Amino acid sequence: MDRLRFETIEAYVLGTMPGDERARFMEEMERNAALRAEVELQKENILAVEFGGLERTLRTIANAEQNDTTGKGTGRSSFLKYAAAVALLVVAAVWWLVRPAEHERLYAEYYTVDPGLPVAMSATGDHAFQDAMVAYKLGDYHEARSKWSALLQQEPMNDTLRYYIASAWLAEGDAQAAIPMLDALTKEPASAFHARAGWFLFLAYVSTGEIASAQAMTIGSDTTYGDRVRRIKEQLGK
Amino acid sequence: MAGLLCNDPSTIRALYDTHFPAIKQYVLQNRGTGSDAQDMFQEAVTVLWLSVKERRLVPDTDPGGFLYRVAKNKWLDVVRSAAHRHMKVVHNEQLLERRDDAPDDIEERIVRLRGVYDKLDDKCRIVLDQFYFERKDLATIAAGMGVEEESIRTIKYRCMMKLRAFRKAINGEEQQQG
Repeated sequence: MDRLRFETIEAYVLGTMPGDERARFMEEMERNAALRAEVELQKENILAVEFGGLERTLRTIANAEQNDTTGKGTGRSSFLKYAAAVALLVVAAVWWLVRPAEHERLYAEYYTVDPGLPVAMSATGDHAFQDAMVAYKLGDYHEARSKWSALLQQEPMNDTLRYYIASAWLAEGDAQAAIPMLDALTKEPASAFHARAGWFLFLAYVSTGEIASAQAMTIGSDTTYGDRVRRIKEQLGK
Repeated sequence: MAGLLCNDPSTIRALYDTHFPAIKQYVLQNRGTGSDAQDMFQEAVTVLWLSVKERRLVPDTDPGGFLYRVAKNKWLDVVRSAAHRHMKVVHNEQLLERRDDAPDDIEERIVRLRGVYDKLDDKCRIVLDQFYFERKDLATIAAGMGVEEESIRTIKYRCMMKLRAFRKAINGEEQQQG
């Protein structure tokens, strides 16, 4: 079933279809048994999703209630307050001892996951790419990377694939794995991903503590990323 | 009832605040725990919700009375089955009285709906829950997730097609068995 047909049925089921269109749709349903079956199926599926949402909401309310009950004062409440204060001090001391290095802190401050490309339905046969992009956008970077890697076997020079595989590696927290792909892209000035690859390569070096490699990168004059690169370099140089 | 029809969270919350205490008291008085009471209450709300959605309730049905009856009967089922498993004699006559529960087919419907929802992966649930249960529009969902509206539209379509394929496979199996 194509998306237009799906959304037409959906509008009917949700009651958002305009009156005249609804009348025509109902006439069509009277004549078309297959359409009636599709409508029933979609009603059931939507009901199942709503049901799942209801159960989730009920669980949330019950959990909140239990936490509330547990949190209400007892005879031990003042002892618990002191225990919590001591625990806080211990946590603060441990954090001070194992606090992240400056380059890790800078990476955490400046890195944000590349938002990816819009996922549009199209008939251009790039279904597999789009499927992976859906996974990427929903945070399933491993799945996205696996799917794109399979496509890369067929098109090893595809810069879009290489860029997003590297982005998925970065998002998964493996900057080391992202570096070779990003590095290659920075050597392809014609690529649409050239500048972005440079920025993320710089950040990948910052993440892995390869400060000399980061400092050696000459993207400080880049109009989009230059300011951030200079600020990070300054911080690293202190 | 109108609030339940549109999955209004404040209505669900109000049901909890108003009617859970009586159910909890009943379960606790009949050898149950607070956690049992929560389970019974949740089951009863799902029966009420589905009855409202499918227009099975007569107008002016008292939701509190309905929830209490369903939760009580469900708890009696639990007690009976536990007594049967452990061959215990149930002395409380009330626990042995005949149940006047919600129709059995609604229980089957609930099991079936739960089975369908379980087929969805987390990615799909995130998007579909917000659209169909919370009734958010695509633009709001997209803004919340930091993606484009068109992407959410596509994800919704694909997830629903997965459910459709699953249901068609099940229906095919049932027809073959029939």
